[in-house]
Amino acid sequence: MPPNKPYSFVRYKTVEESKKAYDTLNGKVIVDDLGQQIILYLNFVEKAQWKELGLQALPPGLMVIEDIISSEDEKMLLESVNWTEDTDNQNFQKSLKHRRVKHFGYEFHYENNHVDKDKPLPGGLPDICDSILEKWLKEGFIKHKPDQLTVNQYEPGHGIPAHVDTHSAFEDEIVSLSLGSEIVMDFKHPDGVTVPIMLPCRSLLVMTGESRYLWTHGITPRKFDTIQASRGPKSGIITGDVEDLTLSKRGIRTSFTFRKVRQTPCNCSYPLVCDSQMKETPTSFPESDKEASQLEQEYVHQVYEEIARHFSSTRHTPWPHIVEFLKALPSGSLVADIGCGNGKYLGINKELYMIGCDHSQNLVDICREKHYQALVCDALAVPIRSGSCDACISIAVIHHFATAERRVAALQELVRLLRPGGKALIYVWAMEQEYNKKKSKYLRENRISQGKKEEISNDTSVQELLVKQMPDVGNQDSAPSVPSINDFQDRGCNSRKVTNSKLPIHTNRTSFHSQDLLVPWHLKENPGKGKSIEPFGPLGSHDPGPVFHRYYHVFCEGEMEAACQTLSNISILQSYYDQGNWCVILQKV
Amino acid sequence: MKLLTHNLLSSHVRGVGPRGFPLRLQATEVRISPVEFNPDFVARMIPKVEWAALLEAADTLHLVEVPKEPIQGYEHDERFLRKMHHVLLEVDVLEGTLQCPESGRLFPISRGIPNMLLSDEETET
Repeated sequence: MPPNKPYSFVRYKTVEESKKAYDTLNGKVIVDDLGQQIILYLNFVEKAQWKELGLQALPPGLMVIEDIISSEDEKMLLESVNWTEDTDNQNFQKSLKHRRVKHFGYEFHYENNHVDKDKPLPGGLPDICDSILEKWLKEGFIKHKPDQLTVNQYEPGHGIPAHVDTHSAFEDEIVSLSLGSEIVMDFKHPDGVTVPIMLPCRSLLVMTGESRYLWTHGITPRKFDTIQASRGPKSGIITGDVEDLTLSKRGIRTSFTFRKVRQTPCNCSYPLVCDSQMKETPTSFPESDKEASQLEQEYVHQVYEEIARHFSSTRHTPWPHIVEFLKALPSGSLVADIGCGNGKYLGINKELYMIGCDHSQNLVDICREKHYQALVCDALAVPIRSGSCDACISIAVIHHFATAERRVAALQELVRLLRPGGKALIYVWAMEQEYNKKKSKYLRENRISQGKKEEISNDTSVQELLVKQMPDVGNQDSAPSVPSINDFQDRGCNSRKVTNSKLPIHTNRTSFHSQDLLVPWHLKENPGKGKSIEPFGPLGSHDPGPVFHRYYHVFCEGEMEAACQTLSNISILQSYYDQGNWCVILQKV
Repeated sequence: MKLLTHNLLSSHVRGVGPRGFPLRLQATEVRISPVEFNPDFVARMIPKVEWAALLEAADTLHLVEVPKEPIQGYEHDERFLRKMHHVLLEVDVLEGTLQCPESGRLFPISRGIPNMLLSDEETET
């Protein structure tokens, strides 16, 4: 069985029935509609496995509106398209390899997937579209009046390769009317998820936000679509429910895709796939301590000052393991929270005397509003006397330092503050946002649910997953099995090496592809008013506010421990993974 | 900034080390903020206090009746503990400065928050 080809699997109730089917069908010749001879080949397989896709969600921002036009209007629209070759026809009719295309308003250039916004086509959109578009606007199906139309005609066997409509060419809302025949369109997310969606005849596909900017859409060139047998030609996701699938023969489908041409560069929330934003000069990976400090100044300190209020509004829920650590400390302990942010943890345990330190004046102001003790300082030079703290915490801080030396220096400061026997709890963002096949909350909030039946249903329980006791690495015997910090500097952890020393811009809610990166934050000027707050900034909003980039060095498994290992006066008590973070509890000896 | 916090602060100006303690306090605005008295809590704080630094700070703020040192059996002496509770936890410096005793560098206290950030030149290695 050659790989990368589609196969059908048939299960029979008894061995005899399967043998009978094999003998009857194997090698049999059938003739298709075009008179072509097809030979059936059958093979027995030991097992047939398939993924239970379970409940999939539509790509965010996507809608399919059924029966949006009447059959009469459908007929009228189809008849209005003049496909005859006419050189006088200004509406640039082109015949492409697969499908027939016509453009109105602006010509779409396939060489660069762009329109020339300064060269509109005369005539604009056809008159008959006007009333239909007005109606859609009035009824709220669309929010903006398009000024570009592309008519595509797909015969059975035609398709269009997966693509994202060029960000800089068109505004957010892209709508596509399906006429003549239904079809299945595939939407793919960069992390690999594919969602096949049935587009019924006379339906309008509306793509906005994430579905327009991040997911690709395409039509497989084939003559049959696999559809839900029970639902037939009605809209919806084609799920992997093998009991309910059937084939549907394609007819000739004509699509009217309406778009609005952009006049300014794109400023969407998906920089990694945005041609406007990727053109900006990328930031370099720092080569020296001074460069690192400058990078942190621009991409950490200044950013937190700007976003402090909004950031604070998204940091309201203390994490259970951190609360546990603080509550377990003896009454009367002196505790320093280095990188305390909005002071989330400063009031957790009233039996402690906690001092918060943060580089951001605006965040420390918020701590002060809550009547906590806090001061502004640098985590590499904490103005607290050595050996005075019973405990320290550093939550989501050290991943903001741009070199390994500075990250270790930050650890050294924490340890300096501790009295002998004192403990420190450190949390940093993990490269691996999916651990033991369980996605972190950061990824899960992407609204692609794993479905009721996860592949790993008999996997380790959540409790086991979160707290993994490491052997006491202070013990000489176990030392060789722990990778040294140098291993990480060269190898990283299966990430794309930053060969051209430019920092990539991350797309929120997708997995990390590089250890050193810039993570966007979308500022909401009035946080907490009405709209729900997402921890990593709003995505796909129709009116994006300013975007800030924060520098992160995400840690690989074992990397934080290896960094701690470079300190001579500590022992690692616990090391675990918690919601997309690598965590260490260490003790000063 | 409470006096207990002040007692923990030390200058991190390059090169001063332990000679950066204690920071000389100057206050232009002080507020008394009542805090619930927890004798056990205060008793546990006492051993962590650098007494000379506390006396110096209390003196600057013209606080009267600060004990010269922890008295014997302080853990059960409610009068002592209440006094220390007040000095350590209820006196809040809102505006003023902290000065490194070794380098003379001044750090501002504004709205109760000390700003201990050093400039780029000061942190250059």
